[in-house]
Amino acid sequence: MDEQPGLSDQYRMASPWPLFVALGIPIAELGILFDVFVVAVAGLLLFCGSLTGMIREAGYAETAWRPLAVFAVLLFAVGGVLAFTDVSLVTRGYAILTAGGILAAAGIGGELFVPKRDPV
Amino acid sequence: MQITGQLTLTVLMGLFLVIIAAWLARIEDWRSYTPLGSGGAAGESGYVSQEKPTGISRWLTTVDHKDIGMLYGAYGVLAFVVGGLMIMVMRVELLDPGMTLISNSFYNSLLTSHGITMLFLFGTPIIAAFANYLVPLLIGADDMAFPRINAIAFWLLPPGALLIWAGFFPLGDIIPAQTAWTLYTPLSTGAGGGNQANAGVDLMILGLHLTGVSATMGSINFIATIITERAEEVTWANLDIFSWTILTQSGLILFAFPLLGSALLMLLLDRNLGTSFFAIEAGGTMLWQHLFWFFGHPEVYILVLPPMGIVSYVLPRFAGRRLFGFKFVVYSTLAIGVLSFGVWAHHMFATGMDPRLRASFMAVSMAIAIPSAVKTFNWITTLWNGKVRLTTPMLFCVGFVSNFILGGVTGVFLASIPVDLVLHDTYYVVGHFHYVVMGAIAFAGFAGLYYWFPMFTGRMYQRRLGKIHFWTWMIGSNITFLAMIVLGYGGMPRRYATYLPKFATFHQLATLGALLMFVGGLVWTYNFVVSWLEGPRVQDGDPWNLRDDGMYTNEWQWFQDRQETAITDGGDEDVVADGGTEE
Ligand code: HEM
Ligand SMILES: [Cu+2]
Repeated sequence: MDEQPGLSDQYRMASPWPLFVALGIPIAELGILFDVFVVAVAGLLLFCGSLTGMIREAGYAETAWRPLAVFAVLLFAVGGVLAFTDVSLVTRGYAILTAGGILAAAGIGGELFVPKRDPV
Repeated sequence: MQITGQLTLTVLMGLFLVIIAAWLARIEDWRSYTPLGSGGAAGESGYVSQEKPTGISRWLTTVDHKDIGMLYGAYGVLAFVVGGLMIMVMRVELLDPGMTLISNSFYNSLLTSHGITMLFLFGTPIIAAFANYLVPLLIGADDMAFPRINAIAFWLLPPGALLIWAGFFPLGDIIPAQTAWTLYTPLSTGAGGGNQANAGVDLMILGLHLTGVSATMGSINFIATIITERAEEVTWANLDIFSWTILTQSGLILFAFPLLGSALLMLLLDRNLGTSFFAIEAGGTMLWQHLFWFFGHPEVYILVLPPMGIVSYVLPRFAGRRLFGFKFVVYSTLAIGVLSFGVWAHHMFATGMDPRLRASFMAVSMAIAIPSAVKTFNWITTLWNGKVRLTTPMLFCVGFVSNFILGGVTGVFLASIPVDLVLHDTYYVVGHFHYVVMGAIAFAGFAGLYYWFPMFTGRMYQRRLGKIHFWTWMIGSNITFLAMIVLGYGGMPRRYATYLPKFATFHQLATLGALLMFVGGLVWTYNFVVSWLEGPRVQDGDPWNLRDDGMYTNEWQWFQDRQETAITDGGDEDVVADGGTEE
């Protein structure tokens, strides 16, 4: 139970990311399903970006850059399948590839150019 | 025109992301540290921020199980009100066969939305509300195993609701779905000359999909929490009954909801991308029904097991005795959980499926009545010779048992093939499941709301109004649903906006009962709102005098600890801090 009941309200938990992970999913789904390019890209960016934030917050990654690159690779794979194989959902595929491209740029750019902070 | 449209959309989306980024930057500001590894498990590190932000941000960023429980609760109650208002419009339309208050197609839209709202936006979330708030307290855990996933699961629900209701909003040519909650193909694939190819149906399916993802995430979290986060003194042998039902329910969700999700995606692909999973020629109509009911029947037990847990937990407190045959209540819960996956085709007896298969589904459906009856007898025996105190939560528990018997017995009749062939798709079925979903599940939900109201809010409700609420609902629901059973015997088919004049009397009775429940609903709303704002403060951690009977439990102990520290702090304000009055 509550070891420090009196302090429970001072040491509470909060995280800004879950809300945006949850918002990213429907926005991305809507964009992809109805083939609305920008909405799909924005939704995917929001989703992957917030997940990255969460991963970093939980300490699974030190900086945001590598998770971003991993998401980029995943998006490239999915987008590639949609755009260039028999599935042939070309515009949707390009939307996903675009989101992947932006994430990759952010990830690689961050890794290369943002000075590393000393871990606290 | 096209180009400018695209451009504005791009700018809007860009702005949207920028605003979010800006807000996040501000939020991140009040974090004065670099988080260390936590592995996502509970503990005071990792996801912990220095303190809860205040105001609206607190509610948007919380990962505290009690806050999330309150959010689920508010959401579920709101959805219940929406679904209730929808049905009131429909019941008024049914007052008279010639009534033209709403169009037939609008009736169908409300029908579809009412069902989905009550099952997915009220039923599942209100259970998650109790489970989130109480399970960690009952098993002595600090929080859920995955607090952030918990928050994600909740935040998927509001967009889900908006999508499900999207057809009702004035959004261009989008119309509400009229597929009924079962989404039978080919109607729901948009085939043929109807209007169900409309994007409104796609939006609803997407919304449904989101709520399914949410439920699945929640269930994984509960399973992990109950298995790994129990305090040392909480063993499998003395795990409380409510947590048992949540564990079983989560198991059912884990197997049922992903299947619904996949079936819904297949449906979306059929509708939008030219696949033909559910093409009529390929037997797609039967395929959909099998997939849907393989999810659909477990879903009804997903909805009923935790309320049974609430009743098994609350009813003994006011009978002054421990739950009779505790072990058997647990076993029957598990048995129902397993059996519920073997009965789905009893919803399809009239489809012309193979008669040998049909017979086996009939046998299992009858068998599932046995564990349900075991529970019922255990509740009755617990009451027997007990020191019964008819408080409002207790009244709702007893009402639950009574209504569940009627719902269960009518179910057993439906499970018999020859009877079902006569009654299928009549109001009898509607009467059957409303006895269970409204008469039992909602009643148990309200038993829980009244029982833990002092804990959630720090205040007491007005007892008299609580009793008025109960009696209007008990009488109202029995008038309405009994009338439906009778209508079914008479051959009144379900899902119609109009009917033959010979059915008028019983439809009017059903509407009368519904109006009674509506009045009860107003009383309840008034009672809860006013009591929350200015009801008398609860003075100690035992508002139900459970200690007198030796029935005191963990969650009230926690409540008492919190109250005491709040008082020594001199902080009158703090008493309700977690009750969430400060939205
Ligand atoms: C005692 C166990 C039960 C049995 C044997 C049983 C049996 C049945 C049968 C055979 C049907 C199909 C009737 C038809 O469409 O022709 C049915 C429908 C239904 N039952 Fe039950 N039932 C039981 C308990 C429950 C419970 C506990 C719930 C809810 C929590 C429930 C909810 C429903 C619903 C929602 C439907 C209608 C589905 C639809 O067509 O829209 N039943 N039941
Ligand atoms: Cu069933």
